[in-house]
Amino acid sequence: MIVAERKPIKQILEMIEPYSKVAVIGCRGCVAICSAGGDREVEILSAALRLARKNNGKPLETIEKTLVRQCDPEYLTPLAKLKDQVEAAISLACGVGVNLASDLYPDIKIYPGVNTTFYGANPALGKWEEMCRGCGDCILDLTGGICPIARCAKNLLNGPCGGSQNSRCEIDPDTPCVWQLIYDRLKARGELEKLAKIWAPKNWIPAGYGGPRKRERPDLEINNKSKHSGGVK
Amino acid sequence: MSEDKKYLSHLERVLKEGHFAVTCEIGPPKSADPEVVRKKARIIRGFVDAANITDCQTAIVRMSSIASGVLVREEGVEPVIQMTCRDRNRIGIQADLLGAAALGMRNLLCLTGDHPKFGNHPEAKGVFDLDSIQLLDMVRRMRDEKKFQCGEEIKGKAPEFFLGAAENPFADPFEFRVHRMAKKMAAGAQFIQTQIIYNLERFRKFMEMARDLGLTEKLFILAGVTPPKSFGMARYMKYFVPGLDVPDEILTRLKDAKDKKEEGINIAVEIIEQVREIPGVAGVHIMAIEWEEAVPEIVKRAGLEKRPLAEEVKPVVKEERVPEVVITEEKPEVVPEPEAPPKVEVPVEALKNVFSSLRSSMEALRDGINMLHEGLANLEKTLLGGEVPPPPPSEEKRPPVEEVPREPKPEAPAIPKEEEEKAKQVADLLSAAKAAQESGDYEKALNLYEQVLSLEPENELAKNAIEALKKEQKIAELLKIAKEKLEAKELDEAEKLFKEVLEISPEQEEGRAGLARVEELKAEEKPPVVEEKPEEKPEVKAETPEVSEILVFSDLSSDYRDVSERAAGIPEDVYKEPGSAWIKEVTIGEGDKKITFGGTNVLPFHLFEGEMKNPPRVAMEVLDVKPEDWPEAIAKYFEDVFDDPGEWAKKCVEVYGAEAINIYLVGTDPNFLNLGPDHAAKVVEKVAKAVDVPLVIWGSGSPEKDVDVIREVANVLGAKNVMVGPVVDTNHRALGATAMGYGYALIASSPIDVNLAKQLNILLENVGVPLDRIGMDPSVGAVGYGLEYTYSVMERIRLAALYAGDDKLQVPFVINVGREVWKTKEAGLPSDEMLGEQEIRGIALEAITAISLLMAGGDFLVMRHPKAIEVTHKIIKGLMAQE
Amino acid sequence: MDKIKITILCCHYTNEATEEDFADIPAEIELKRYPCSGRIEVVDILKALEQGAEAVLVAGCENGTCHNRTGSTRAEKKVELAREILSEIDMDPQKVNMTFVPRLDSGALVAAVKETFEKLLRIKEAA
Repeated sequence: MIVAERKPIKQILEMIEPYSKVAVIGCRGCVAICSAGGDREVEILSAALRLARKNNGKPLETIEKTLVRQCDPEYLTPLAKLKDQVEAAISLACGVGVNLASDLYPDIKIYPGVNTTFYGANPALGKWEEMCRGCGDCILDLTGGICPIARCAKNLLNGPCGGSQNSRCEIDPDTPCVWQLIYDRLKARGELEKLAKIWAPKNWIPAGYGGPRKRERPDLEINNKSKHSGGVK
Repeated sequence: MSEDKKYLSHLERVLKEGHFAVTCEIGPPKSADPEVVRKKARIIRGFVDAANITDCQTAIVRMSSIASGVLVREEGVEPVIQMTCRDRNRIGIQADLLGAAALGMRNLLCLTGDHPKFGNHPEAKGVFDLDSIQLLDMVRRMRDEKKFQCGEEIKGKAPEFFLGAAENPFADPFEFRVHRMAKKMAAGAQFIQTQIIYNLERFRKFMEMARDLGLTEKLFILAGVTPPKSFGMARYMKYFVPGLDVPDEILTRLKDAKDKKEEGINIAVEIIEQVREIPGVAGVHIMAIEWEEAVPEIVKRAGLEKRPLAEEVKPVVKEERVPEVVITEEKPEVVPEPEAPPKVEVPVEALKNVFSSLRSSMEALRDGINMLHEGLANLEKTLLGGEVPPPPPSEEKRPPVEEVPREPKPEAPAIPKEEEEKAKQVADLLSAAKAAQESGDYEKALNLYEQVLSLEPENELAKNAIEALKKEQKIAELLKIAKEKLEAKELDEAEKLFKEVLEISPEQEEGRAGLARVEELKAEEKPPVVEEKPEEKPEVKAETPEVSEILVFSDLSSDYRDVSERAAGIPEDVYKEPGSAWIKEVTIGEGDKKITFGGTNVLPFHLFEGEMKNPPRVAMEVLDVKPEDWPEAIAKYFEDVFDDPGEWAKKCVEVYGAEAINIYLVGTDPNFLNLGPDHAAKVVEKVAKAVDVPLVIWGSGSPEKDVDVIREVANVLGAKNVMVGPVVDTNHRALGATAMGYGYALIASSPIDVNLAKQLNILLENVGVPLDRIGMDPSVGAVGYGLEYTYSVMERIRLAALYAGDDKLQVPFVINVGREVWKTKEAGLPSDEMLGEQEIRGIALEAITAISLLMAGGDFLVMRHPKAIEVTHKIIKGLMAQE
Repeated sequence: MDKIKITILCCHYTNEATEEDFADIPAEIELKRYPCSGRIEVVDILKALEQGAEAVLVAGCENGTCHNRTGSTRAEKKVELAREILSEIDMDPQKVNMTFVPRLDSGALVAAVKETFEKLLRIKEAA
């Protein structure tokens, strides 16, 4: 899932400083699952904002709403009504939601209520760990399912570096050395020969360094007539 | 200079000619002061073959390695420049290396680099476009294949470096380190400088592994040595420098030494002496961190002072230094800046004006060129229909264009923006609609398609889709009604509807199946309809054994082993915790048929630590009127006796062995048939005459009505040991009085709440009802319908009664299971593949609910299905077994 | 002058306290019961403050006696989070307190409320 984390309330208070009525919009997608922007967080943030503003003598009214997702246009339609009801909105969706909502409803000032942090797993309650960086060119087949791009501090492809000690990464004793993990797993699988190969420099274009990334599936596009003109309806 | 052809550098020559090499390290300053570097170089000149210049070591900003290298070389020391992957991408690295080579650098150490986190700019973005191995490979190709990393040829002089890499024999995984060193060699490394060595044992092992792989034959390995300057530094290295292994012995030596520096140098010399003995070690790399003065001392004491080829090299260096000297001589030339001041005499403002007017005219020129470009592009667009291939010949003209914010690339279709947006909106809507349709949300899909039409009234896709959707909706509606009719056995109606469905869509599967089912049922129905009704009963009975055949419950294993035996060796008081009080016993019924329930001092079935004087009891339920909502699965057992509660009760007792009967006076419910108390009285009388088992009389649950009903029942029944209810707080006085008058036991009913249950008991006690004449109905839910809540409340009540000494709660539970289970949706849904056979499902629901609530403390259950009762009894028997 | 308001959020089963029990405390005491203190959410605490309470006391069963096993420890964590939020918005986190009281013992609860009240007075004095 996409993992996010609530912004400091003070930062949010600054964003909405001029307004007296705002909407707090949650998302039931990833951010709800990682407890950053679901129904519960919407309630808590709204209450905290109201309380803070009450204390400052500038009471705030909030509208609380949580959408199924904020990354699909059809789920954002309730925003259309909001325009006349509030002066601004705080979205607790990941950055994707804030972007799309702002693109579709440019009349509403939509501010981010969370910091979008990483693609991660939820290995234990209350813990999230980065596992993928969306580099667009998956190599997990060669590394025993462990990603050195996301999980090595130096994105090494020919690791481990000299800072690997007792299975820990030098940058932080709580971080495992991912290359040690890769080594151990490949060893257990009898695939150490995979590490003998020198890995060529990575092409970073799929990772987003070639500009914003897009994906297309012409077969799913409804009015993509040109290419299928000969097809059967 | 002829040597230069053969060897890229002096260091290479020293190593290749078999001399034991000595290198050291110079850390450039955190300033622009060249003197610092020069001074350090002068200290070590003559004592080493080459000196590494670190590249922002530990990610701290310092003078660059290449620039420092130039300064070092000017001082007559051959530099080994270092390059990390941390601060530059492949473009920056290659550019700098071209420059380094041009400046006369000949040795290069390739490193990944320390993480920025350790340095003075921890927030910097670490680049790590390449790693050290990829870097080596790239530089080797630049030298040997004359190619840039992208594959493009280097025209002209390629950078040529004697290539080195680092390796840490003390990092993990240890057994992989030599293999990684081999990778570095394969990538291009010709020499290796190791991490600082204190743990010689491990280094020997490392070298042995390297020899085994044949690496020492092709690779010059220089052992890393650092004189510890103080005890504190050694301790710091041991505990805080990742990848460094400092044995305690070293720490002790330093701690005890009077002159720490002296001892530090001694340690370094000893280590050098020892590593020299290790086969395959080609030299040492002395890293006297911020202590360059120690280097000559160490080298002298280690007997390495006479550097080989020094004399021969010097001229080479000197010769190369000549230009340096020239450079030094050039200094005045390079120093035009100091000379600048006189120029300041020129009126600055005037100059500024000149420059700015020059600039603006250049800009005007640039704009002009850009306009030309645009015009050209537009022309091309018009002529070639927009598909403008990027004009490759314009390369030379391009730079000016790039100065200006780039024009958006000519998009292929020249659709006006609004239309484009509309098309996008339509596309979005269509895809959303399709998704909705696929997920079965027809209304949403319809809505979305209509939105499409409002944007594009002629959109074929939307039109077709709407038509199809409407058809589907119609079919769904028809099917729904048809199924209802089918269930209600209105076969003709159902048939008609199914046919309608098939008219709209001849291939509709559900329609076809429905029609088939109707025909089947019609075929079945016809003969019995002609025959007399009673005949239906045998038919039903004939069906009954089917399920019984499937559901044969064997007894639970009665192989009982006492807990004391199983817990052999553990003191009893560890696992036994009997309650400190007893649940009251309530007895109902007369003569040898009377039954008692309650009477336990432990949690349900915890017979190892206490006693249950009575097993939980199960009453079967009889209704005062013909039930309307009973699913077939249960109705078929009693259809023959539905009209006569007496016969019904008799069947329960004689056929199904009921030990008690619960008469549910549902017909008196004001919201249902609202039958009068006299009706109830008649029913109870009939039942009481028909059976001799204990009776429970359960009113409709309307507090006022129940008072009248129970009074009338009492009039007819007289003083008999039955249990009546439900009593709630609003009618507890009236019902309490009736019960006391006739000696009835009471069912105290409260809404799933510990305190309310307790309060009702207190109220009843206050009007004189003794607690041993009360059964508590905590209000229950079937499995899937709030069972957990019921369970939790019952459990809490029981714990309070037994372990917290709450005497007002020491009352047995009366649990009405059947009523809750058989009104659930799932019990009534027809048999199908997913939910399985209706009857088995119903039995399971009732039995599981019953057993769950037994576990929560249920003492007296009211149930309906004979099979569910059978299995419940079997489980009770199994759990009560103590032999 | 209006009385100070204190809101108690508590597990239904920890006590049977009524208004009379709090008669001694010169404050307006609002008692909100929950099926279990584990059900009390951060937002309930914040809303209590928003609705005029100057302090909030969350009461749950003593460790190990919660009928739902960990309800009161969950409540404690919620209190911690609520306190963090208060700090973030420059309110005194000590205005929210947690107490663990024996089951069915109103006395302990009343004592905890008194303590909360006194603490609040001190906070107000210091301010």
